[in-house]
Amino acid sequence: MTEQGETGDTITILLVEDDAPTCWRLQDALAKAGYEVRSAGTLAEARQALAAGAPRVLLTDLRLPDGHGVELIREMRQRFPDTEIMVISALGDEESVISAITVGATGYLLKDAFPTDIATTVRDLVAGHSPISASIARFIVRRTQGAAQNSAEPPPGPALNTARLTPREIDILWGIAKGFSYAEIASHLGLSKQTVPGHIKNIYRKLEVHTRSEAVFEAVQQGLIKL
Amino acid sequence: MSEIAAKASAKAPAKAPTRPRRRLIASRLVPYLLLQALIVIVTILGIRLLQPNDPEDYAVSDFSAREDGWTRPVTLPHFTSSRYSLADPPIYTATFTFRSGDAASGWSVYLPRFSNAVEVAVNGVVVLDSRRDANANRPDRNTPQIAVIPASLLREGANEITVQLFVWGPLKGFLDTVYVGPDAALRPAYETRTLLFVTLPVVFSAWQAILAVILSIMWLMRRHEPVYGVLAAAMMLGVVQAFAPPPAPPATVSRLAAVLLASAPIESALIVVFGVLFFGWRWPRYGTLLFVPGVLVFVVGLIGGPPLPRILFLVLGIPTVGLCLVLMACVTATAVVRRQDAASFTIGCAVTIVLVCWVQDMLTVLDIVGNDRIFVSRLSYSAMLVAIGAGLTWRFARALNQVDSFAGQLVTRVREAEERLKASFAREEERARAAALANERTRLMRDLHDGLGGQLVSIVALSERGSAGASITDAARAALKDLRLVIDSMDDIGGDLMLALGSWRERATAQLRPHDITLDWRVATPQGLPLHPELRPWHVIQIVRILDEAVTNAVKHAQARRIAVTIDTFDAGQGPYGVISVTDDGGGFALAGNGEAAGAGQTARGLRNMKSRAARCGAVLDLTSDSSGTRVRLKLPQRFPDSDMAAG
Repeated sequence: MTEQGETGDTITILLVEDDAPTCWRLQDALAKAGYEVRSAGTLAEARQALAAGAPRVLLTDLRLPDGHGVELIREMRQRFPDTEIMVISALGDEESVISAITVGATGYLLKDAFPTDIATTVRDLVAGHSPISASIARFIVRRTQGAAQNSAEPPPGPALNTARLTPREIDILWGIAKGFSYAEIASHLGLSKQTVPGHIKNIYRKLEVHTRSEAVFEAVQQGLIKL
Repeated sequence: MSEIAAKASAKAPAKAPTRPRRRLIASRLVPYLLLQALIVIVTILGIRLLQPNDPEDYAVSDFSAREDGWTRPVTLPHFTSSRYSLADPPIYTATFTFRSGDAASGWSVYLPRFSNAVEVAVNGVVVLDSRRDANANRPDRNTPQIAVIPASLLREGANEITVQLFVWGPLKGFLDTVYVGPDAALRPAYETRTLLFVTLPVVFSAWQAILAVILSIMWLMRRHEPVYGVLAAAMMLGVVQAFAPPPAPPATVSRLAAVLLASAPIESALIVVFGVLFFGWRWPRYGTLLFVPGVLVFVVGLIGGPPLPRILFLVLGIPTVGLCLVLMACVTATAVVRRQDAASFTIGCAVTIVLVCWVQDMLTVLDIVGNDRIFVSRLSYSAMLVAIGAGLTWRFARALNQVDSFAGQLVTRVREAEERLKASFAREEERARAAALANERTRLMRDLHDGLGGQLVSIVALSERGSAGASITDAARAALKDLRLVIDSMDDIGGDLMLALGSWRERATAQLRPHDITLDWRVATPQGLPLHPELRPWHVIQIVRILDEAVTNAVKHAQARRIAVTIDTFDAGQGPYGVISVTDDGGGFALAGNGEAAGAGQTARGLRNMKSRAARCGAVLDLTSDSSGTRVRLKLPQRFPDSDMAAG
């Protein structure tokens, strides 16, 4: 059984993880689901692997022996915009996940997820369904509240620009944070159930800071930097 | 006077004075009285010594006086009887010898003292009429007069000088020795008298006016200190008295006369008020009687024509002044005994001097002491007022200095206190933070110990036994789940328990998926549970652990296929509260009478744990189980408790 994208090609995954047992575990789960998985233990190996061509999906740990996964994600977004990126995290804590999201990742995968869940998550990702967890949604909406309160000092945790989120998107995030399913959110907000994943993808894109100058512009817009 | 003062000071302590107290009073009063006696002697000597000298070489004292139609020889100084009519005044006539050799500087006639007014004629031509100079006629001022005799009037040899003395009662008329001679010889004596008896009072009055303004301003700014106002009033009255031109008969303006006459008793009464207030005593109610004579003189002056007000003044006003001075002496003596300070001593001495001067004037008026009828009361009184005013101003300035230094001290003290407060606040804050940190740490430790610690130990034990991988996996997964729970509950959820339950739903769903169990999630109201601003991480941990336990029980012991979580909000009139129910369709387990599972010990422990967790955050746990399934109902409190309700 081989997982294939819309074009019919085998879906390639680059897995960057320095802990060998975890790497094996994920690789096994993905390979069993029919994906073509290349693995790398360091940033250098990952860059080497990229020389052969862009993968469809990048799964990367953040803390790597020779650097931070965020660098890799940023490079990936610039060189191969079509690649879907996910972070592998042990705890799914906001600190690591949000910093990855701001450079272009669209979700995270828990290292101890069940094999079936791992495969399902990647499949959904390739299908255009960016997964979002309740705790990440909660972090984002709490941040939108903080920005609205105009507090003098920035809240703790990674910097996050929530200014471009629409009220509808924030409502969706509230629903996810409170544990409602996509169907329940859609019915509460009067949406079609199918449009919710698209909204979430948009949310990720809006949270992404593309360039340094854009980051500065956003910071000025939000009043984080005073000119 | 000393007797009265002694009485006053002995009366002041109303309780029976004990012997040591009496001795103390005596030891203070005697030196003071001795000092006053000394001052009396010095004053009398001073008055004697300071009598101005007149050029006796040019004295003309042998006059013939024509009074009431008959003539007799008199020697000046001479008193004539008091009279109330200006018509037919006594006429004094004398001759003097003019030698043209002395005419280089011109000749003058000089009258050092007269009362009340004179008209001087030389060889039948009037050279001086003092009635035109209102101030010269004041009996209380010792105004001298001098007039140059035109050279054309003088004849070589004998010349005739005629002095008409106008007297208006009730005082007797008085004419001091008349001097006729070269102007250069007479003028210095005239100037001396003018300086002493005209210029000096004007200077004093000017000072008084200035002090009156200053004291009035002080009083206006400090209404609670009437002492300034009283003194200002006394001074203003004195100024009016000094500068208002007195009416000379026959052109009598009775109102003005009334004011001038009444001023002295009222002034002296005001001074007594000042004394009482200055020494910090309450003004006695009957003290107002002191103003009665002055007011009486004033009223009579307003309605009655002369000479009645003047008579009244003599019999009422002047004794009042004396009485007031005596009272003032008593007041100051008492103050000296009580306070022993510089202010009471100074005022006491000043009052004694004025009193001596008053007595001297009385004796003069009554012809007991002959001193050419020079009145000194007014002068000494003015000097005293100026001294008091200067003293008050000094006191005020000193008070300002004290306020300044006090303010400076206050600023320093406040700064010190502020710094101390800041330091202690910082210390307190540090302590509070440390305590909060320690609390948080303790809770975290307990939470980790409850979950993660036990699970890791279990993993170690399983690994050592070489046990089956599945058990280790389960224990490790539980440990990870617990770690995530602890981290998750640390997050600030703003009192919205739904945010914590959202994460829990995800974890529970992931946990149930391998067991093929469906998790039904029903939230009765769109907004979920009521907000609890007092919600703390440790509440969240307890609640989530209860739900975990319920789900684990359903999976492990009841073989459920479907688990439903229902989140509801009720309101029984005392504020909304949430209820979370976990229902499964499993086989259930038998419950003993006390609500605990009778079966496996582990289940029983689990249930007990759930109940104690619920109790710790003020929630109520209900568990019902039968063959059709188990239902755990967690009723949340309206308000979560601040402290652990069942700590430990």
